[in-house]
Amino acid sequence: MEAGALMAAMGPHPASSFQPAVAGEAYTDAEVMLRVKAGDESAFDYLVQKYRRPLVSFMYRMARNTAAAEDLAQEVFLRVYRSRQTYEASAKFTTWLYRIATNLAVNHARDTRHERPEVTVSLDEPDEETGTTLDVPDSKSTAEEFLVRRERMLAIRAKVEALPERQKLAVIMHKYQQMDYKQIADVLKLSESATKSLLFRAYETLREQLKEFV
Amino acid sequence: MMPDLASGLMEVTPGIRSHLAGCVACAGKMEGFRQTMALLDEWKAPEPSPYFDVRLQARLREEMAKPQAGWLSWFRRPVLAAALTVLLGVGVGLFFTKGGGRYGSADNVVAVIDSTEPGSAVGDLQALEKNHDLYADFDLLDDLEVQHDVVANP
Repeated sequence: MEAGALMAAMGPHPASSFQPAVAGEAYTDAEVMLRVKAGDESAFDYLVQKYRRPLVSFMYRMARNTAAAEDLAQEVFLRVYRSRQTYEASAKFTTWLYRIATNLAVNHARDTRHERPEVTVSLDEPDEETGTTLDVPDSKSTAEEFLVRRERMLAIRAKVEALPERQKLAVIMHKYQQMDYKQIADVLKLSESATKSLLFRAYETLREQLKEFV
Repeated sequence: MMPDLASGLMEVTPGIRSHLAGCVACAGKMEGFRQTMALLDEWKAPEPSPYFDVRLQARLREEMAKPQAGWLSWFRRPVLAAALTVLLGVGVGLFFTKGGGRYGSADNVVAVIDSTEPGSAVGDLQALEKNHDLYADFDLLDDLEVQHDVVANP
């Protein structure tokens, strides 16, 4: 398989030559993955393009900075590629994908738990910590307001990060990845009711701890 | 359910609406969740950088350049080597501690002898084995005597 051909279409607005629907029949991601297993290069392109943004976003909230998040997201795709021959469509593709992502993120968090996250302030680039760009203040907003907003972002991040591991994972998947209880339960290998209760406890903690910022 | 309602993932049914209208505690809690959800929405994640695809492409190229790993590659893994070393160590340890070797301690030899005392399962089996040998010897001796008689009195 040619890596150039595989990723050639990728750019800021990547497009894959793989068509997920032929003659009105839509493929599920699991079926697309089975095509990857059969050696279809464009099918892998399609999956990368579909999941690159959600995975970087997931990893960004799990890891401590953008660079690490991108590295981890790439590692997820590499693992998917490596496992293509042994892939079995027994579960939903996203469950499998997020299980790989979760394992990597948890291991990364464990390995770097003693490292202090970088705290940088740049006016041009997105903040490593908050993911937002601190634009030059205009007439409506002052530098002070920006600092307050940044403080609030850091607090949100710190409070989510301080949740027990499974609660944090559940919140990130539910709130930011828009995954339903069933999907989250499958990824975390919990029952649906246990997942609901896990999420409720997490949101309850966040509600209490973020009171001062609302 | 409340976090789902607060973040708009679940529709507020007329029943829930009427309950919230009459229950101050639930309405207050719901408002708290709504504000928390709105606050959490402010935490945005950045888009993948332009280098993301370039890096992924390079890593995929590296991956493809790697030779396909066969089953023999398992034997080159450090984890397997460590596991085999541990197994070997455990095996050698068991060999000596259980008195299986020539260098077993005297205590262990006594323990082995003790286990073959008459009445024990091992002792009985050994006695049976010896008896069997003895009977076989008798048969052989009988045969030899018959032959001797034949030779002596043709």
